[in-house]
Amino acid sequence: MNEATGARKRVAITGIGAATPHGIGVEAAWAGVLAGVNTIGPIRRFDARSFPVRFAAEAPEPAALPEVPAAVQHILLDLKGRLAAVAAAEALAMAKLPELGERLGVCLGSEAARPDLAELATRMRSGQLPSAEELVRMSPEAPTRLVAAMAGARGPMSTVSTACTSSSQSVGEGLLRIRRGEATAMIVGGVDVLVDPIMITGFAKLGALSQRNDDPATASRPFDLHRDGFVLGEGAGFLVIEDWDFAVGRGATILAELSGFGCSCNAYRITDSPPDGRGAAQSMEAALLDARLQPEDIDYINAHGTSTPMNDSSEAAGILRALGERGGSVPTSSTKSMTGHLVAACGAVEAIFCVLATRDGRMPPTLNLAQPDPACPLAHIIGGALTAPVRHALTNAFGFGGSNGTLVISRVDAAGDRA
Amino acid sequence: MTSPAERQPVEVVVTGMALISALGSAFNDELAAVAARLDAGEVGLVEHPPLAALPGGGLAGVVPQLDLDRFLVRRKDKKLLARPSALAVAAAGPLVAAWPGPRDELGLFLGVGREPPDDGESEATLALSAADGQLDERLLSGPGRDRYPPLLPLKTLPNMAPAHISINLGLMGENAALAGVSGASMAAMRAGVRAVAEGRAPAALVGGADARVDLGSARDRLRVGEPGAPGEGAALLLIEPRAAAEARGAKIYGVVDVLDMDRSAEAPELGAALRPLLGALGAAEAAAAVVWCLAAGRAASLGAADPGLPPMGLAVRPASAC
Repeated sequence: MNEATGARKRVAITGIGAATPHGIGVEAAWAGVLAGVNTIGPIRRFDARSFPVRFAAEAPEPAALPEVPAAVQHILLDLKGRLAAVAAAEALAMAKLPELGERLGVCLGSEAARPDLAELATRMRSGQLPSAEELVRMSPEAPTRLVAAMAGARGPMSTVSTACTSSSQSVGEGLLRIRRGEATAMIVGGVDVLVDPIMITGFAKLGALSQRNDDPATASRPFDLHRDGFVLGEGAGFLVIEDWDFAVGRGATILAELSGFGCSCNAYRITDSPPDGRGAAQSMEAALLDARLQPEDIDYINAHGTSTPMNDSSEAAGILRALGERGGSVPTSSTKSMTGHLVAACGAVEAIFCVLATRDGRMPPTLNLAQPDPACPLAHIIGGALTAPVRHALTNAFGFGGSNGTLVISRVDAAGDRA
Repeated sequence: MTSPAERQPVEVVVTGMALISALGSAFNDELAAVAARLDAGEVGLVEHPPLAALPGGGLAGVVPQLDLDRFLVRRKDKKLLARPSALAVAAAGPLVAAWPGPRDELGLFLGVGREPPDDGESEATLALSAADGQLDERLLSGPGRDRYPPLLPLKTLPNMAPAHISINLGLMGENAALAGVSGASMAAMRAGVRAVAEGRAPAALVGGADARVDLGSARDRLRVGEPGAPGEGAALLLIEPRAAAEARGAKIYGVVDVLDMDRSAEAPELGAALRPLLGALGAAEAAAAVVWCLAAGRAASLGAADPGLPPMGLAVRPASAC
């Protein structure tokens, strides 16, 4: 906040990077979701033939890794670290930040990693304990340390751990830190890798996963009447965000404006969402207020849209509650229909899709939405990508435990729409 | 929630405090007695049998008892609460009960640690999933899976402590669950103070909860070389703008300010002074230090720094010094 004028700092997005089931790199992911390419298939990482759920959206192994400082190289031993490294490198290369040191911060969304199951079994036999290095590598903040070291960031650093909302909130935290003047630029986003036997077993037993083993490609069907659960995905998404004036001053290419953030809790249940969508609505209302926008300003919604019966109807109710009549006419899609659920990374990856939607005027479809659920009366994008100008896009992320996060991304030239 | 145009920086005051620790559970004015015991160097560590086999003995800062049932919407949900969540709900309950405003905008910013899985639960699954010491995925998907507790993935998510506060006490406002060991609750307090000062939340619960006295966590601490005995606890502050607190006639315990720090201006890490007395409180440590200072009537600048992370700080002034 400018103390003299009361004017608030604007925040520019100048770099994006991703590693998703569509491939390494933002453009691979964007081309994939625009073309309606499904990445969900049989699990290849382990022999899942006897598991109740035998499919997922696995991220590819990066063909090459960026150089990282020696102190954090051990984090690359995990796929999670490798995905984070390639996505962060892409975002940083695009942003071309100058050396900022203590003015560059990092806030990432991440969960604790879990040891490989085979290792666990070995330990059971031998009584061997994890090494100190392994414990550091499995901690939620390991990706934060890795990315900070890669970027030479010595400014504010934090790790948000709110399950599926983690990276949405990390982007929001970064936005607030820049507005508050705590940092000139922030690297924000998230990473998650959960396609392992324990998590497949756990989530399946919880009844959260789709069990369409006979037809995995149609398993993730957000807002469809016959949806039966989400599909585990994995990946990483990072954004470089910075003080707008600083970005303009250094001649950076501004991809979009990060214009609003809201979050809330449901105060309802651990796994279920409230049928009236009140927590989700509160998050969206807060984000619109923060962005100084009205519902009619929103041209695209990238929904959380997990494909679980409860989430999708609750989110639809929340959208209608927050945006009123406009909620039912804003083009809306869930890219999880193609990428699966990237859990702690989904909020950031889907925010990147919103950046690209404002840039290109194209909105990805929801796949497998054959019979829209009447309980989800939204303006679904079906049958292919939609081409239309996107001034402002809104993206939701909701997590187990009832945490909600909403981001608003605005086209570079759309600031004039805002009061 | 105020509109952005109406938001102005405001002084943020503490109108409620809670500390759940090895020296007992205390709230608001009761905390002066706990602070006096800490000032006198009273040690709350006890022999904790599950840790007896560890090198250096089984001393730990264990919370003796929790008054939890009265805060749970459904008592049967108690089985969902891992230890940090139980500690967090026990700390938050009385503070939220005393909050007269609507809970749907009350913010919640919590430092969180690892939610330790019940070793027995997961090891039973693994034991049934291995043949001749080798993992067998067919066994995991058969007999192992049958023993796998369906709620285990949820019990081990780090954000379960704020989730249970929200669910049982009705909080719906802006929130964050921040990981990062001893810096976690410092980051959470700073985020909450900023949010309240900017009008993003009319008031907020800020602090942290952590439990590190189970065998797995204690062994992990030893392996990464964390000093001191393991501990568990929760420390929370109820914060709100001074004008709002005064308008409702709330007792003000102190003022909190976010310190803009850099590497050349580190504040003392007062949380470390608590470790010999209460055990290492991890994600609750910095918040416990703030509660200690305010309850003792001391002004302080205090920081938290995790290895490899930049320092963060808060300044606190007790009401008597305001």
